[in-house]
Amino acid sequence: MQSKLSDIELIEETLAGNQSAYADLVKRHQRFVFTLAMRFSKSREDAEEIAQDSFIKAYRSLAAFGGQSKFSTWLYTIVYTTAMTFLRKKRLNTSSIDDEATFIQLESQNSAFDNNLAENKSRSYYLNKAIEQLLPDDAMIITLFYKGEQSLEEIGTTLGIEPNTVKVKLFRARQRLKEKLERNLKHEAKELI
Amino acid sequence: MNTIEERLWSYIDGTCTAQEKEEISKLIQEDKEYRMVYDELLSFNQELSVMELDEPSMPFTYNVMEAIRTQEAQKPLKAAIDVRIIKVIAAFFIVTISVLLIYTIANVNWSAGNTSAVEFKIPSIKNYISKSAMQGFIFFDVVLALYLLDGYLRKRNNLKTM
Repeated sequence: MQSKLSDIELIEETLAGNQSAYADLVKRHQRFVFTLAMRFSKSREDAEEIAQDSFIKAYRSLAAFGGQSKFSTWLYTIVYTTAMTFLRKKRLNTSSIDDEATFIQLESQNSAFDNNLAENKSRSYYLNKAIEQLLPDDAMIITLFYKGEQSLEEIGTTLGIEPNTVKVKLFRARQRLKEKLERNLKHEAKELI
Repeated sequence: MNTIEERLWSYIDGTCTAQEKEEISKLIQEDKEYRMVYDELLSFNQELSVMELDEPSMPFTYNVMEAIRTQEAQKPLKAAIDVRIIKVIAAFFIVTISVLLIYTIANVNWSAGNTSAVEFKIPSIKNYISKSAMQGFIFFDVVLALYLLDGYLRKRNNLKTM
């Protein structure tokens, strides 16, 4: 019965002191929040830390959520700022995909990983690999647009940019992703030959 | 100028105007290049739509709730006190002091000429408040003052550590 409640109803129950309602909210959004965190950190441990911190911050600020936007949009804004802070702290390498050295490094990592999964590769596997090679912002926009059910306006709210800028960024991100995917597939074809 | 891909993405995403939509739809039907790029982008779009989300570890929800419970338990008693109670107490004292001040000033004999001879008629409270009540009142004032001092020092300490 609890799972049928809307986000707003679960928030109201949480604010009334029912912590299990918040657990339901976490369960509902954890996969997407974790995926977003994975766009910023390639390590599962770090991504879990980002996702966990985001949910804790959201819980602490829940009373401040006015309901002007969807809860998911509000939550993704918290994930974005938490991930950015995390990146700054960890000083992770977020170099450009145009950086040749980065690409060579990623290619060699992929090759090693690919060899273990030679038979089991699907197009979606290559798509995920290509997304991993994108800049965090590009990967985030694509994920929000395709999996977060977010409009350009809502993505703009999450990232703090204009909807038109989101449109341009989304176009460029898809272009880069397509190039990456094609390059990886070509590379794989050569390996097989 | 929009490239073919840009126009087609707007068409696929549904972000173009009705007129643009009509124009692009016509181009897809009539122009081979447009048709080819459109099919390619549509297939790519479909792939993106069905990509799977990552799954966090099994105890993720439990870990989040446990972290929240731990933080809640660590919350100091100070933070648990309703701020409204403090405000009401502060307002009571401010009003009491203000009333006493106004009453006192209103009863001053200003015509005496010499300021040293001005008489302050402080209302006698002996009849209204017992000695033990007065002691309790002073004790409460001291506690409140210490509480405010504690809050001030904590804030200053936090600013220093930031």
